[in-house]
Amino acid sequence: MSAGSGTGPRAPATGVGRAARPDARSRRQLALMLAPYLVGLVGLVLLPALVTLALAFTHYDLVRPPAWAGFDNVTALVEDPIFRIALTNTLVFAVVAVPLRMLLALGLALLLHRRAPGAGTARAAALLPTAVPEIAYGLLWLWLLNPLYGPVNQVLRVGGENGLTALGRTPPQWLTDPTDARAAIILMSLFTMGETFVVLLAARRALPRDVYEMAAVEDATGWDVFRRITLPLMAPVLALLAVRDAIASLHFTFVPAFVVTDGGPPPYATTYLSLFVYQTGFEYLRYGYAAAATLVMMVLTLAAVLVQWRLIRRYRRFYPR
Amino acid sequence: MTTVRLKSLLAVALCGALAVTGCGSGAGSSSRDQVKLLVFGAPEELAAYRTLIDAYEAARPGYRVQLIEASDRKDLLARLATSVAGGAPPDVFLMNYRFYGQFAAKGVVEPLDERIAASAAVDPADYYPVAMDAFKWRDQQLCLPQNVSSLAVYYNRTLFAKYGVPEPRPGWTWNDLVGTAIAMTRDNRGVVIKGTEAEGAARLPAVHGLGVEPSIIRLAPLVWSNGGEIVDDPDRPTRLVLDSPAAREALKNLVDLRLAYGVVPSDAEVEAEDDESRFVNGRLAMLMTSRRATTNFRTITGFDWDVAPLPVYRRPVGVLHSDAYCMTGGSRNKDAAWRFMEYAMSADGQKIIAATGRTVPSHVETSRSPAFLDPNLPPRNSRVFLDAIPTVRALPTVSTWPEIEDLSYGILENAVHRGDRLDDVIRELDTKSRPVFARGENG
Repeated sequence: MSAGSGTGPRAPATGVGRAARPDARSRRQLALMLAPYLVGLVGLVLLPALVTLALAFTHYDLVRPPAWAGFDNVTALVEDPIFRIALTNTLVFAVVAVPLRMLLALGLALLLHRRAPGAGTARAAALLPTAVPEIAYGLLWLWLLNPLYGPVNQVLRVGGENGLTALGRTPPQWLTDPTDARAAIILMSLFTMGETFVVLLAARRALPRDVYEMAAVEDATGWDVFRRITLPLMAPVLALLAVRDAIASLHFTFVPAFVVTDGGPPPYATTYLSLFVYQTGFEYLRYGYAAAATLVMMVLTLAAVLVQWRLIRRYRRFYPR
Repeated sequence: MTTVRLKSLLAVALCGALAVTGCGSGAGSSSRDQVKLLVFGAPEELAAYRTLIDAYEAARPGYRVQLIEASDRKDLLARLATSVAGGAPPDVFLMNYRFYGQFAAKGVVEPLDERIAASAAVDPADYYPVAMDAFKWRDQQLCLPQNVSSLAVYYNRTLFAKYGVPEPRPGWTWNDLVGTAIAMTRDNRGVVIKGTEAEGAARLPAVHGLGVEPSIIRLAPLVWSNGGEIVDDPDRPTRLVLDSPAAREALKNLVDLRLAYGVVPSDAEVEAEDDESRFVNGRLAMLMTSRRATTNFRTITGFDWDVAPLPVYRRPVGVLHSDAYCMTGGSRNKDAAWRFMEYAMSADGQKIIAATGRTVPSHVETSRSPAFLDPNLPPRNSRVFLDAIPTVRALPTVSTWPEIEDLSYGILENAVHRGDRLDDVIRELDTKSRPVFARGENG
């Protein structure tokens, strides 16, 4: 495992002495460089997360001291219809949006990994929406999805009459119909897969060329190449990105739902757990209750990771190294 | 070793700098006499607060006020809650009586009775009692009302003249309102059309007769005017009671504006262009809203507009809209905060805010002065707001009222735009509001 370390017991004594000093020094330097991040991680993420977990078992309104509540908040969550809707919306979003985002990112990576005219511009265009600040991105979509004056519906009306599409149907009511609004949030999330795209692009470009050359010699079809070579070789990266995206999907619905749909249209069509937690904690001052909902989010995250981990292990059995 | 020590020191210094900048309040000043004022509002309102602060600082040299601007009401609530929890609350904040209950119940707001009794500048008799009473919690005066508005009907006079429709008059009834709204809903050729036919394939109205949001604060005065109630006990409410014949009739009439007559814009039209913008753009003949809209409407140059009282069912009743200056119990600068509140509540302070057009001053004398009734500034009929004050009623101040408003808005929106059955709507309002009322604390 540590072939290059040079600190094994069989190394010459002088070698050990020479190697130990730079190692100890570099470790100290690494520790120092890591320290600010670790301080931030502990102080701004881990400790608040632990405190939030503890507050999930209290009645706490951000103002008066917390009072022990046992499992009252969790019991109340189970009976809360708005929480159940938020939980369902979150799970549906994750199940639909994560595979779509992965597919889109993979498709673009496979399409744009070669040197070709316009490929660089296309790569930049695929990455650009990720660089737009979240609130600005939300406000942009608020305009794009405007039911009457928005460009999306204007385009859909081309060829139609009396405000209908060319197929004679009413264009999607992105902000007023529950199903269309959920679709709009998923649509918005698709264009922010830039990071996933970049990682997959790098992964694809790192694949060995000779494997593809051998496949070409054997007249393998494009589908075969994808199924037998590209997918298995990229599977570890894809799996890692899928886990990351599944975790992220639990919270990146917040800004679109907050800015574009405000959790609606009624009843709570785009109220996701993240928005539910924010409203309950900071607008209604039920912080203990919101902390319990956060606990559920964390459990969901853990469950998503475990399920995907098992799937990856099962996949590896088919493609042993 | 020296290099390592130097790097160590640098890292420690960086961490220290991060900690200091990260934990700083961002206030930029720690002056003992500096008062932090938390508000939200349109740019014109924020400009008025800056003018108020400048005038205060000029009148009281040495005293400073820092304006903290929230983006909207929800942002203000979140900022207030988190700053109180963090032990660094603003000294003074502005809040509507419908939303202050949750902070009053938790002891966030400082009682002001002793300061009022000792003050030479603030006399409760100078202010409208209905506004003062709205900010009493368990017999203690917690905040001082800045304004005392109510619901009214803004209308586009130019459009009324163009189509030869009589303008709204004091004492007009609900049926008059519906008839007027029908007569004002027109297509782009100026022909009266029914907005309900605009769904899907048919033409959209170029002008809608009326804009009114399907909220409990809009419905309440209509129910009261018809002799009904919206809650079972205004002092200690436990449920929404829209199942009485009077309340049901008022609710049905509100729903019919969209479903039967099509005089109010559809939900898609509202999402495309909100009612206030629609009015400003000349595409809405009438808009039922509070005095708050005036600031925006004063930017209108393309047409003449005015304001009329609410239509009446059996007796004239209005709903109170009022915001107040509240002092936080955790303020470290209460005396300075009180001095600023005294100034803001004085005739001079109220005149500055009234100049924006956004408020009806709670100070009786100021409300009757040209600062509010300036004949050169629209609306010409500002007196409508003063005439309504004797009839206005306040909504409950139960601590969970913000949740009640949010949940009822969704249900009422579906009733008006989706056509949910009235029985289901009334039952849903009742059953869903009960547990929220049960969690609430009353003043």
